[in-house]
Amino acid sequence: MVENPDRHRVGDHPRDAAGREWEVFVRPDGADPLRHVGSVSAPSVGVAYEQAETLFAWCADDVWLCPADAVERYSTHTLDDDAERVPVGPDGDERPRES
Amino acid sequence: MISVSKLLCELDAEGDGLRYDAAADSSKPQISREKQRRPVVVWNLTKQCNLYCSHCYAAADTGTAPGELGTAEGKRLLDDLADYGVPVVLFSGGEPLVRDDLVELVGYADDLGIRPVLSTNGTLITPETAAELRDAGLRYAGVSVDGLPERNDEFRGADGAFDAAVRGIGACLDAGLKTGLRYTITERNADDLPGVVELLHDEGVDRFCFYHLDYGGRGADIADADLSPGAKRDAVRRVCDLTREYHDRGAEIETLLVGNYADAAYLVEYARRHLGEAVAERVYDYLRRNGGDPAGERVADVDYQGNVHPTQFWQGYSLGNVRDRSFGDIWDDESNPLLRRLRHRSEHLNGRCADCRYREICRGGSRLRALSAHGDLFAPDPQCYLREAEIA
Repeated sequence: MVENPDRHRVGDHPRDAAGREWEVFVRPDGADPLRHVGSVSAPSVGVAYEQAETLFAWCADDVWLCPADAVERYSTHTLDDDAERVPVGPDGDERPRES
Repeated sequence: MISVSKLLCELDAEGDGLRYDAAADSSKPQISREKQRRPVVVWNLTKQCNLYCSHCYAAADTGTAPGELGTAEGKRLLDDLADYGVPVVLFSGGEPLVRDDLVELVGYADDLGIRPVLSTNGTLITPETAAELRDAGLRYAGVSVDGLPERNDEFRGADGAFDAAVRGIGACLDAGLKTGLRYTITERNADDLPGVVELLHDEGVDRFCFYHLDYGGRGADIADADLSPGAKRDAVRRVCDLTREYHDRGAEIETLLVGNYADAAYLVEYARRHLGEAVAERVYDYLRRNGGDPAGERVADVDYQGNVHPTQFWQGYSLGNVRDRSFGDIWDDESNPLLRRLRHRSEHLNGRCADCRYREICRGGSRLRALSAHGDLFAPDPQCYLREAEIA
């Protein structure tokens, strides 16, 4: 468990220049949690699903897709120039990012 | 990468330790004394290129693309890679020389102890640039030329590209930079191969890397220009013959084959036929130590937007993004079932690969080509040109 972390909101950078990027989540079995397994580039959700299925159908009951640009990411590790510090701790203090 | 000159002509090279765990036996200064434990990272600095090549795996374009890692982000990425123990970063693109911070990033990598090398079309390299790159610590420049002048310019979509590349190669050599050729063999340019080697050897080039076409980016669009299995076999035999001919007349060129590990098996067969059983066994042993197709293990790719791919050719699937998570954490995360299976692929190969006698040194070849051709990550590589009698 991370306590009082230095966490930043990763900036809204494009993840694919040609089409769209889709984050892929799979659930190996009905009782398992969803697991993030990377992303695929595809112009539409239909094509993204085809690609994800080709890569992961052998190991997953469920495949979920989410447009990469719809995900808000808060991370303790980012090299992003545009990352914004977010308040942490009970007083909402901001902690400076390590360079 | 498979070094034909090492395996068939016993030419030592800087990569012997890294590639074959054979540093102790090599007469050359080594990139690493031990077999590589961390991947060589290809970093596509930019998607922008001054040319528009028909086989570009990165689908590079002449315009700028959004989301490029900036200079400070790039330095933090290099910090991450150094912390993780990455031995070599290949600055690639697009065309890396369109970025005005290339020299700064090369110098930064060198200061961190990472070996910086460059993949370029060569057309933007001036004597001044070559000297700056050398002074920054660049160890090697691989320049892409894909045929004699007319053919190369057709590939690259620009008249004069061949002459400009040769001027760039000359500038690198004059600056004292180790410089080599990168040549992607297709049906369109296979016949030009000996002529290009001769011409560039006369210019002073002594390292030649021959790439098989991979089906990533625009490479997928010209898959029909890929060589047939028979023609591919002929092209590889020609590289072997040519290497031995140069060595026999005292010209110790370094030649390498990249992107199709059927070549590993072919080299063993070639050695057995032309050099005898003992040499074939030595070749096999080197290739066993090399470990076969490196995707997802010994090579990684970070694209210009920070996406991490199992190889530079596999741009359509990303394991994660370095803006979100460190490279090492992404690369080590075998909770990803695809990455885990890729690393244990020998157990899962099917079709003719399942019982192939060369499975240990090939490991099924390109998984991306198998996926493109069969929709099955563990199906045979469609570019395998080995005969049934050879693999039984």
